[in-house]
Amino acid sequence: MEDKRFNQLKERYNYMHDILAGKNNENLRLLASRLEELDSRFPALSARERETAVTSLEDLFNFVEKKIEVELTPMDRVRIVRNPQRICLRDILENVYDNYTEIGSMGEHSPDPAMLIARAYITRRHGKRVFNQSVMVIGHEKGHGEEIRNGGSAQPWGNAKALHYMKVAETENIPIHTYVFTPGAFPVEDTPGAAQQIARNLFEMGNVKVPILAVFSEGGSGGAEAVGLADRRLMLSHGYYSVISPEGGAAIEGNVKRGPRATPELIEKVASDLCITAQDNLRLGYIDRIIQEPNLGARCHHFDFFRLLRQEVLRATDEIVLDVRGMQPFRAMGKRSRRKKIEEGLNMENVRMSWNLSPSAQERLMERRHRKFRGLAGQAFIDPRTKWDLFKQGLNETFWELAGYIRYDLLRKRQQNIANFFGEIRSETSLFIKNQTAPLRRLLGKAIPPLRVKRNGEAEKQLTTLSDWNDGNERGQWSYVSPKAKEDKAVICPNSATHGCLDMWAPDLYGEFAGVCTNCGHHFPMEYQWYLYNMFDAGSIHEFNAEIEARNPLDYEGFDLKLEKAKAATGRKSSCMTFEASIQGINLCVYMLMAPFRGGSVGAAEGEKIILASERASKKRLPLLAYVHGTAGIRIQEGVNGVIQMPRCTMAMRRYIDAGGLYLVLYDTNSYAGPVASFLGCSPYQFGIRSSNVGFAGPGVIQETTGVMPPPHYHSVYKALARGHIQGVWDRREARFNLHQSMLTMGGRNLYYK
Amino acid sequence: MNISDNKVLVANRGEIAIRIVQACRKLGLDFACVHTAEDAHSGHVRLARELGGQGSLYRISSYHDANELMVVADESGATAIHPGYGFFAEDYRFARRVMQRNRGLIFIGPSWRVIRELGDKINTKRLARSLGVPTVPGSDRPIYDEMEAEALAASLFDFQERQGIKKPLVLIKASAGGGGMGIEEVQDIDLFRSVYRRVRNYAARQFKDEGVLIEQRIRDFNHLEVQILADRNAKNIVHFGTRNCSIQSTGLQKRVEIAPGFDPGTITYKFDAQKVLDDITTHSLALARKVKYDSVGTWEWIVTRDGHPYLMEVNTRIQVENGVSAAIARVKGQSGIDLIAEQIRTGLGDPLGYAQDDISFEGMGIEYRIIAEDPDNGFTPWVGRIEEFAWPGTDKEPWLSLHTHVPTDQPYDIPTEFDPNLALGIIWGQDIKQARERGLEFLNNLKLDGQTSSGQRMKTNVEFLKGKTPAILQF
Amino acid sequence: MLDISALLEEVKASPYVESSVKTPHSGVVSFNDDLKPGAALFGPQGLYKEKPGTLLANLERERVSKSINALEKGELVAVNTELAGRFVQAGTEIMRVRHFLSRKEVLDIILKEALHLFRAPEKAKYYFVPAVDLKVKNTGPKSVSVHDGMDLFIISRMKRETPLRYSGPDGVIYAVYFSVHQNLDAGEPLIGICPPSQVNQIEEVAMRVQTEWPDE
Repeated sequence: MEDKRFNQLKERYNYMHDILAGKNNENLRLLASRLEELDSRFPALSARERETAVTSLEDLFNFVEKKIEVELTPMDRVRIVRNPQRICLRDILENVYDNYTEIGSMGEHSPDPAMLIARAYITRRHGKRVFNQSVMVIGHEKGHGEEIRNGGSAQPWGNAKALHYMKVAETENIPIHTYVFTPGAFPVEDTPGAAQQIARNLFEMGNVKVPILAVFSEGGSGGAEAVGLADRRLMLSHGYYSVISPEGGAAIEGNVKRGPRATPELIEKVASDLCITAQDNLRLGYIDRIIQEPNLGARCHHFDFFRLLRQEVLRATDEIVLDVRGMQPFRAMGKRSRRKKIEEGLNMENVRMSWNLSPSAQERLMERRHRKFRGLAGQAFIDPRTKWDLFKQGLNETFWELAGYIRYDLLRKRQQNIANFFGEIRSETSLFIKNQTAPLRRLLGKAIPPLRVKRNGEAEKQLTTLSDWNDGNERGQWSYVSPKAKEDKAVICPNSATHGCLDMWAPDLYGEFAGVCTNCGHHFPMEYQWYLYNMFDAGSIHEFNAEIEARNPLDYEGFDLKLEKAKAATGRKSSCMTFEASIQGINLCVYMLMAPFRGGSVGAAEGEKIILASERASKKRLPLLAYVHGTAGIRIQEGVNGVIQMPRCTMAMRRYIDAGGLYLVLYDTNSYAGPVASFLGCSPYQFGIRSSNVGFAGPGVIQETTGVMPPPHYHSVYKALARGHIQGVWDRREARFNLHQSMLTMGGRNLYYK
Repeated sequence: MNISDNKVLVANRGEIAIRIVQACRKLGLDFACVHTAEDAHSGHVRLARELGGQGSLYRISSYHDANELMVVADESGATAIHPGYGFFAEDYRFARRVMQRNRGLIFIGPSWRVIRELGDKINTKRLARSLGVPTVPGSDRPIYDEMEAEALAASLFDFQERQGIKKPLVLIKASAGGGGMGIEEVQDIDLFRSVYRRVRNYAARQFKDEGVLIEQRIRDFNHLEVQILADRNAKNIVHFGTRNCSIQSTGLQKRVEIAPGFDPGTITYKFDAQKVLDDITTHSLALARKVKYDSVGTWEWIVTRDGHPYLMEVNTRIQVENGVSAAIARVKGQSGIDLIAEQIRTGLGDPLGYAQDDISFEGMGIEYRIIAEDPDNGFTPWVGRIEEFAWPGTDKEPWLSLHTHVPTDQPYDIPTEFDPNLALGIIWGQDIKQARERGLEFLNNLKLDGQTSSGQRMKTNVEFLKGKTPAILQF
Repeated sequence: MLDISALLEEVKASPYVESSVKTPHSGVVSFNDDLKPGAALFGPQGLYKEKPGTLLANLERERVSKSINALEKGELVAVNTELAGRFVQAGTEIMRVRHFLSRKEVLDIILKEALHLFRAPEKAKYYFVPAVDLKVKNTGPKSVSVHDGMDLFIISRMKRETPLRYSGPDGVIYAVYFSVHQNLDAGEPLIGICPPSQVNQIEEVAMRVQTEWPDE
């Protein structure tokens, strides 16, 4: 008996040692020496002495644990979450739910053992009656370090399966409980694609018509978002929720490239700068509530914790449902009393509360969910617009909506009716004339010249003299010419070895050839200005919301300076420019991510501008184009303020598309990570400029996480096209033509020119 | 600057490189030559070594690589580049680079803007029409509207019928196309619309431009040319008469060229041939003045059987057949004109030094292109080793000049990737009768033989040339 | 019947090949000063051969510098150091290198004896017909089976292109001996064909080389 307790103490020591990562800790040293000391004399002790010794040592352990708990650093929390002893989803299914069946997996026999789906129920009692309330449980399974679970890093097909069963839950009208236990999604491009599947999940989850509750333990970036978009988001007190793993952040920060790894000190510092703890996230508004864990984090034997979790899960689900229930007077009373009971901390198991939603409640649920995310991250960017500006803006928008309605709905429908009427008359008349003259024409054959031939002299003149022609755009001349075209030097095509391309003269290549190798078609990167001035009608660009500015919301050390530098170098306030322009006379709304500004990374300011652009496009009935000159991903220095733009912007795109718009995405140079895995990747019409790359994680990150170097051109647009991630590959010089073509052939009803 | 301070890089090979080197020598200019490893034994390499020493020769990776020419120009200290014909001769980007690079050079040819302006066929046609120069009936701009296209085609059929053409034809071409792609023929207006749509859709897919040109398809015509020469400032523009280049291979490659273009004194034509010759020279000069033409160039015309001339295009370079015009030209009564030397001299900035009135013409010239090919088999090129090449009996005749890069004293392997011309034989005669006789005498005495590695006998077009000689200039 | 042992012995007798490194085009050459005669050289490395081989020299032309890298594992024999910093013409020998034949090269040498070789009928450039070209590029030459009379090549010379039919035994393409833009003389092999009846023998060759030739 005492043996077992003594061994448990040893395990507790090891656990502490692990989560502190061998950091020099006085308390730990004390414990170690006491353990050693007891260990040496243990065999000689009597049962009674053993009992006393172990008990006193246990007390010391409890004391030290409490002490360490207070001093835990963010990185310690990361280690807690990753420790194999930490509770995992299966433990929760066993201890929080009353019954469950795993769906679609038996150990390694699963499309993705890192993603677990279960149908479960929770039993509630009301008086003598028993109610089993069904939920769909979806989440990452870390399996206490089981290798097949891949640390909870979900494959694209794991996320696809998750989405599938969310749809099932929607059909069955039962709530969804998701558990986020992931260090990040597994970076493979194979169909359906890591990024594209996350984007699909976000796009769909925004409108899943049943309550979604998410519980975060380990919220690693994009992988977390794939199941984390929820009406209520709870977080375990020792968990973390971050834009990037602290190691990854440190690698970028320390500019480590395949050299020695970042130092532990730098990693600690990055972990703390990124504001990844539950407290941080609650303060920033990205989670709704913290569930307190036992000291040094919840492990399997913490049955009290499971009880608490059960209460919290029930409470949160009830709250979601209550919030959207109809406000019929007779129900309102009950609702109020029930809310009171919840607040009073009643045992939730004894509350009777149906989780079924009526169609109108479902509508409200979705509206609330959209409103919730729309309102996030408001503090994380600089918006110098005054109340008066916003009021004027609001007036404008109302005007656009009204004018659009009158012009395109009311008037055009009437016009069309009239046009249809005359059209029918015309076709009938011509048919009549044709029928009447047919025998005559047959008789005379071609003797009657067609009516349209002009008089001889005039016709001859037309065939032999100069005609009027206003050739607006001179062939081979571009409105914008790259500064790279001013250097007298040759440029080597990267494909010269395989395609035999000759070196080109920079002024030819970057000028007339628009940066395209004349031999193999390789596209050299061009400045975004090239697209601004060659893709859109001359003089048609009108920027809006230029004043919305990126800032350093986490006071991330050293980032203010970097941001200032980027602003000074580019003359822009964020990496995103939003504007209206036209292509061959068709107006459209554009948001552009510019690579020169912090790698085209997306933070709160960019996210807000993107959403505003989509809302403007929707109201003005314009097509919406995302021209991605390049994006390295979410701006890590903004932490979750950045990550949250993934669901935020994706939901905005969903609203825009549902309203009947046309959302086009055009990738250029390199586009990776969060944006591709959300608001870009969710578009049904994504195209890539030749020689550009689209993907989830760059080659370096892939090697880091999977240990295997991806093959060359792994992320090329042609590969992306073959995998079904994008819908076409465009030559830069034809982008204008193709965009015009796309606007004519694609998109929904809410377009002013349709 | 005295032009003799210049050094010319000869950016070409074979016959034209030889002619340029010879012209440089004549003008007292230094020169540098390039060659590929494959061409190490070519005639131009031997001549350059003979006249300029090994130091005047540079081995390069490819004649098509402009960078090679630029570094060799810098390394050799050249101040000007002569592109010859083919390769970079009509590449305005090359001309622009030569001029605009940090170490600028003279491009011996028209200025790059002129090359670009006349390199665009639609632009050339519109320039011509703006001056009243006749062009092929049809559109002079891309047509985008189906109704307009159909109306134009209908007018064209009507126009041809009124001219008495039995089987009128209309061509639909993708305006952004080139190299024979996206061109279709229509015989009947009823078929027009479907053919039009095919071409338009092809053009939209292939060239991202739906525009088409609609023109009369002329089948029965003679191919004439006007030789133009102008000095660098385009102030003094003269012509060197006309040529007839109607004897061609099935692939529409020229095989025999005759100067002048018609012979109204001896041969009867259904139209006023002298007027046609006069008209096309006048028109060509007018257009040259309009674009400020500043080098040698050739205005290509087609003349229909009833004597309508239409301007087709302008070749902004020296042409293979320049020598046949030079053979009949006299400047201030002097023979021995060398158009390549004139091009280099004026290109480097020397004034022309004479006016149109100083130029006269005498006799008749025929140029034969001697080529290893099989005229009986679609003019398929023949590749192998030439073992015998000589023209005994006529080699001392003053009426013959023969230009070749093929050695006569040793066997020669024909390189596989270049212009197939082996030699140009230019014959001069007092009149057409004498020219024909001398031409046949030359061809009959020509010895040209060889075999492939598998022992097959050489094939040449000499018999084809003989067969065409009696009927030259008849139309 | 093919005597594999004899062929292998023959190769073993002279297991090195010495070759010259020539400038691909004109320019000013500068050598990698770390390399002295006798230095070990490496060919392209990495899982996908994505890392270029040892840097031998740089060649600058029109203000752009091109690196010349070792293509195979081997040893530097000699450097024409007098050329350093000077303008050289295209195709000038700048170095001599030698390398120990790799298994693959030995296999190629022996296969050239074992396979049915289809040779260039005349001096020209050769290309696969587009359909075959695509297949060779995507799935490798062994995925292409040929039969007598099949349109397989395009001969390009004098700017004219004519089709060329394959003649010989049916089988799959085991080896390709030409590359694009390369001028071949008449009689040079284009491809090596392995008829189905000989697959066993070819596999034996591969196995023998695998076991008898030392690894790099």
